[in-house]
Amino acid sequence: MTTVTISGLTKRYGGAAAAVDDLSIEIGEGELVSLLGPSGCGKTTTLRSIAGFVEPDAGQILFDGVDITALPPERRNIGMVFQNYALFPHMTVRENLRFGLEMRRVPRNEMTDRIDQVLDTVQLAGLEGRYPRELSGGQQQRVALARGLVIEPAVLLLDEPLANLDAKLREEMRFFIRSLQKRVGITTVYVTHDQAEAMVISDRIVVMFDGRIRQIGDATEIYAHPVSREVADFIGLSNFIDGRVTSRTDADYYLVNTPLGEVRCRSALALAAGDAAMVMVRPESIRLSREPPDDAGSNRIAGRVQDRFYLGNIAGYRVACGDGSVLQVQEEPWHAGAVGDAVWCVFPSDLAWIIRR
Amino acid sequence: MDHPPLTLAPEPLAAAGTSAAGRGGRRLAAWRRPSRGLLLVLPTLLFLGCFLVAPYVNMLVMSFRNPSTTAVFAPGFTVGNYTKALADPYYLGVLAQTIALGALTTAICAIVGYPVAYHLARTRSRLRGLLYVGVLSPLLVGVVIRCYGWIILLANNGLINNAVKKFGGASHGLPLMYNSFGVGVGLVHVFLPFMILPILSAVQSVDLALEDAARSLGASRARTMLRIVIPLSLPGIQAGAILVFVLSISAYVIPILLGALKVKLMPTLVIQLLIDAFLWPFGAALAFILAATGGLIVYLFIHATGRLMRGLG
Repeated sequence: MTTVTISGLTKRYGGAAAAVDDLSIEIGEGELVSLLGPSGCGKTTTLRSIAGFVEPDAGQILFDGVDITALPPERRNIGMVFQNYALFPHMTVRENLRFGLEMRRVPRNEMTDRIDQVLDTVQLAGLEGRYPRELSGGQQQRVALARGLVIEPAVLLLDEPLANLDAKLREEMRFFIRSLQKRVGITTVYVTHDQAEAMVISDRIVVMFDGRIRQIGDATEIYAHPVSREVADFIGLSNFIDGRVTSRTDADYYLVNTPLGEVRCRSALALAAGDAAMVMVRPESIRLSREPPDDAGSNRIAGRVQDRFYLGNIAGYRVACGDGSVLQVQEEPWHAGAVGDAVWCVFPSDLAWIIRR
Repeated sequence: MDHPPLTLAPEPLAAAGTSAAGRGGRRLAAWRRPSRGLLLVLPTLLFLGCFLVAPYVNMLVMSFRNPSTTAVFAPGFTVGNYTKALADPYYLGVLAQTIALGALTTAICAIVGYPVAYHLARTRSRLRGLLYVGVLSPLLVGVVIRCYGWIILLANNGLINNAVKKFGGASHGLPLMYNSFGVGVGLVHVFLPFMILPILSAVQSVDLALEDAARSLGASRARTMLRIVIPLSLPGIQAGAILVFVLSISAYVIPILLGALKVKLMPTLVIQLLIDAFLWPFGAALAFILAATGGLIVYLFIHATGRLMRGLG
């Protein structure tokens, strides 16, 4: 098992802004880390730097403490899965899998054993004589995984491996890849722009914008406690309410004065009274109620239902509040509100999160 | 000299052959079902019939005529022209030399052309357009003029030989022209684009990610070329090789100008027999022997290379 250390990685294309800008991260043994961000955020450049296809302008990449920055891809001992799978069309499944082993001069009988074993692992036994074009998208995907794994690489790199699959299969493959990765115990870097995919699959998620890391954390941290509006906006829906800190109530709790009233919020930041603050509340954290809540610990904002829509798994509301701003609310699907109802938007202070403005 | 129509399709020519047959089949169907479509193809059919099929048939019939010293041919039919040619080691030798020179030209074009085609397919340089012009440049000037260009360079008192005589010490100069070397140089130069263009389009259809995948699996650049890129661009090499080979063995102007008549090749020999010796039946037979041999070699080549391309769909 291998640790991957990236320090100060920087890559510029031409004279433009850096595609990757001073990126540093430590990836532990057997850990699966996702690089998540919009297209052009530098996640693929980072992955291709780890693979050796991109020569960084600055910074180092270390596998188990050994600097491999100067090595060509073929000497890095990586397994890579490409978005379009990149299976060799002129080779059968078995020949595709054998290619990496041949390059490593693995003895012939060991080759056969390893190929059979990995085909079994990815549930493709029986298809080894087929050519890639004779396989479905999902099967090709698994061949690509098998080809990357059969060489028993130090690090597995996946570049949007599920992007070309249809939605249903994509969700299944998330779990498949995750359980496979856990079983094999291989250190993995996974590039995706799909937040749900990153959340299902990763030990840690690295959120990237403009070539920089904006936040590193597990799914809960990234979703519930984003460090910036950018991160919160990229992952899921959010309501943002501008305000100023009035006082600190508990260790991590503050009162924030907003145009919609005073809100009690949580924060990891050290804030003082008078600091500008932005309160983030996820739509599903808000309950709608006709009566003001009894519980004094909850925040409440009065409003009037402007829109209601039904999505099957949720009922969505847009609630117009006092100052004209609109709160998005996701309620249980059977919640029976109607347009025009006067309602209270109720949310616990735990789920109101302060982002520095 | 007109070149035959150039196909740039990277698909194996075997497949192109069957699709041509398919077009023929549709044309027959049009005959059976009279329609306005027939009127549309009629001019083309007439044109091809008059200027392509009829001359061929005429030549084929001619090759079975009895020779005559007083007329174009004597009455009656014979296979004697063919048996005479095939029994004579001289004509077989010329045929062998023609095929050998064609094969060598093809091989050199492939070896020289592949790196150029690969580079052109993969480059992101802004000079790409200029490179295309460079590749196509041999086709931009008429073949006769190109040959005179080579004569200036290669002749016994040409640029190279004068330089060699002056600085190199070889007082008689080097035999650069009026031999198969000179003809080979001319053939490679003129037919190189016919090799490069099909390979270029074949390499363009090879996904770059496949090269990355091979590298990630431990293959060096050289091995990636040998195991992935070249096998996947075989259809282009095949198409280019057939074009260059067929053009080389039937080339007339280049051997005449750069080889004079000292390099004995089938096309020059056939013209000599027809025009100078006035032996129409025998010349026609030789022409058909060349065509049949070339066709057979192309067929065998497609068959052999087709086996290497089994996995390419």
